[in-house]
Amino acid sequence: MRVNSLAFRLFATSFAWTLVVLPVAGLLIYGLYRTDTVSTHDRRINLLLTVILADSIDHGGGGEPGQPKEVGEPLFGVPQSGWYWQIKPLDDKPGRRMTSESLGEGISFPLPSEIGIAPGDDEKRWAIVDGPNNQRLRVLEIINLFGEGADARRYSISIAGTLSEVERSLSTFRTRLIQALSLAGVGLLFVTLFQVRFGLYPLRQVERSLAAIRAGEATRLDGHLPDEITPLQVELNALLKSNQDVVERSRTQVGNLAHALKTPLAVLMNEARDDTSPLATKVSEQTQLMRDQVTHYLNRARMAANVGIIGHATEVRGVAESLSRTLQKIYRDRHLDLEVDCAQDLRFRGERQDLEEMLGNLMDNACKWAHARVRLLARPVANAITIGGLPTQLEILVEDDGPGLTVEQLAEPMHRGRRLDETKPGSGLGHSIVAELAQANNGAFNLAKSDLGGLQSRLVLPAV
Amino acid sequence: MRALVVEDDKNLNRQLVQALTDAGFAVDSASDGEEGFFLGETEPYDVVVLDIGLPKMDGLSVLEQWRRQEKKMPVILLTARDRWSDKVSGMDAGADDYLAKPFHMEELLARVRAQVRRASGHAKNEIECGTLRLDTKTARVTVDGQPVKLTSHEYRLLAYLLHHNGRVVSRTELVEHLYEQDFDRDSNTIEVFIGRLRKKIPPDMIVTIRGLGYRLSPDGDAG
Repeated sequence: MRVNSLAFRLFATSFAWTLVVLPVAGLLIYGLYRTDTVSTHDRRINLLLTVILADSIDHGGGGEPGQPKEVGEPLFGVPQSGWYWQIKPLDDKPGRRMTSESLGEGISFPLPSEIGIAPGDDEKRWAIVDGPNNQRLRVLEIINLFGEGADARRYSISIAGTLSEVERSLSTFRTRLIQALSLAGVGLLFVTLFQVRFGLYPLRQVERSLAAIRAGEATRLDGHLPDEITPLQVELNALLKSNQDVVERSRTQVGNLAHALKTPLAVLMNEARDDTSPLATKVSEQTQLMRDQVTHYLNRARMAANVGIIGHATEVRGVAESLSRTLQKIYRDRHLDLEVDCAQDLRFRGERQDLEEMLGNLMDNACKWAHARVRLLARPVANAITIGGLPTQLEILVEDDGPGLTVEQLAEPMHRGRRLDETKPGSGLGHSIVAELAQANNGAFNLAKSDLGGLQSRLVLPAV
Repeated sequence: MRALVVEDDKNLNRQLVQALTDAGFAVDSASDGEEGFFLGETEPYDVVVLDIGLPKMDGLSVLEQWRRQEKKMPVILLTARDRWSDKVSGMDAGADDYLAKPFHMEELLARVRAQVRRASGHAKNEIECGTLRLDTKTARVTVDGQPVKLTSHEYRLLAYLLHHNGRVVSRTELVEHLYEQDFDRDSNTIEVFIGRLRKKIPPDMIVTIRGLGYRLSPDGDAG
C-alpha cells in the first residue's frame, strides 16, 4: 500500500480511530466493573455489620453488648482469614472487648474512628487500612450506645473484610479485557483492510479499463461503476469520443484539401506537357515540385493527426491480405507469386491506416522490382528489443527476388523525395514515408539483403 | 476503340478527352456520376477512366453498380485520395487500375493501353499479324517495317481488328466500338474504311466473311 494512496488514507484514519476508541472503551468498562465489584464487597460488609450489631444487642443486656452467635460467615472462624469483627468499649470503664475467632489474641486492626474518619449520614464510618500480616482491609465501624440514660456506654462495632479477593478479581478482569479488546482491534484491522479493498474496487476497475484503452483493447470506459464515479466515466468517454471526432474531422479536411489541390495540379501539369516554351517548362517544373510538396506535407499532416491517439489496435493479417489481393490485381500481368505468411492474432498497436500505408508502400515497391516472388512475413519478435520502453513487438519482413540494392544504396535510401530508380513509376516517397510512419509509431525500419536475392524491408513495430 | 471519361473538373475532363482522342480512341465524356453511369450502362466501351469524387453519384458506387450488372470493361480509377485504404477499396469495388492525381498524361495513357490490351488478351505493347505491326504505345502501324499513314478512323478500325485478331468481328460491333456516342452512324462507312485500309496494307489480310463480318488473317486465308 503506497503512502500517497486513497487506500492508505482510508486505512490510516480507520486505524487511528481504532487506536483511540479501544483504550477509551477499555477504561470505561474497567471503571464500571470496578465500581460494581467494590460496592458488592461493601454491601456484604455492611450486611455483616447489621447482623453482628443485631446479634450482640439480642444477646447482650444491662448496658452491655453480648457475644454474637450466629453471624453466618464461616471465614470469621478461620484464623487470619482477612475477615474479622470486633466489639470494643470506647470509654475507660471496664468492659469486654470481643473479637471474631479469626482475629487472634491481642491482635487488632486500626479503626476508622481512631484515624479520624468522620461518620456518614448513617453514622457509619468507612476506611481502608493495613491490618495484620499486611492485609489490606476494608473496615466499617458504627458506634452504638448500650444501656439507658447516664449508664449508657459507647461501643465501637466494626467489620473488616480483606480487599485481596476484590483485587484479584479486578486483575483477572483487566487481563481478560485487554485480551478481548486486542483481539477486537486486530479483527477491526482486517475488516478495515477488506473494506478498503472492497470499497476501492471500482477504482481498480477504472485503472484496468484505462490500461485497456491505452493498450488499444477498448475505445471507451465500460462497465457498471458506482454513482460517484459515473460522472467521471461519462466525461472521460465524451473526451475520448471528441478526441476521435477531432482526429476524424482533421483527416477529412486533409483529404478534402488534397482533392482540392490535386485536380488543378493535374490540369496544370497536363496543360504544360506538350509545350516547349519557357513558361510551360517552368510550369512543369514547379507543378512537379508542388506535387511532391503536397504529397509530403499531407503525409506529415496525417501522421501528426495520429500522434497522441490512444486506443488503437490493428490486426496485421487482415491488412496484409487485403493489400496482397489488391496488388495481385494491379500487377496481374506480371504473374507474381505473392506470399503472405502472418501469425494469427498478431496485432499492431496503432492505426489501421498507418499500417496500410507502410505495408502498402513496401509491398508495392517489392512488386515493382520482383522477378517472380514477393514474400511478406509477419511474426512477434521473440527476444524483444525494447524501443522506447515498449514491452512487446512484432516484425514484418517484405522481401522480393528483384535486383536489390548495393551496399551504398542500402546505407541511405530514405531521404525525402529521393528516388532510387527513375525508371519505375511511383512517387519516390515510398521508403521515406514508411520510415517516418514507423518512427511516429515508435517503431523502426531498415533495409537489408533478402534470402530471395532482392531487397528485404524490415519493420519493427509495437504490438498489442 | 471507345473510351469513356467521367470527371467533374471541366479542364481535366477536356484534357483527358483530348489525350485519349489523340491516342486513337473514340471518346465520350460525362461530368457527373449519374450521366457517367448511364453511358457505361448503355454503351460498349473498351476502357473507362473514372474519377472517384463526382457529383450526384460517387465513382465507387458507379463502378459497383456496373459490376453488379456484369459490365466487364476495364475501369481505371482516378482520385486525389491516394492512401492504400482507398486503393484497396477501389480495387475491391471492381476497378482494374488506380491512378492518383496529379498524374502525367503519359502514365494514364500507358495504363489505358495496358488495360485495353489485357482485355483483349495481348501481353505486349506491340501487336503483330503477319507482316503487319501495331505499336500501341506510339499508335504507329508498319508493314514490313515501313510506316503506314492512316486517318484516325482507319487507325481505330485497324487497331480494333488487330486487338481482336483471330476472331470474326461483326460490322455492328465495329460501328459500336469506332464512333463516339453522338456520331451519325452509318454501317456503310465501315465498308468504305475497309476498302481504304485494303489499299494501305496487304489487301488479303482483311477477310470478308459474308453475313458475319471481318476477320484479320496474316496470310489472307478465309479459314
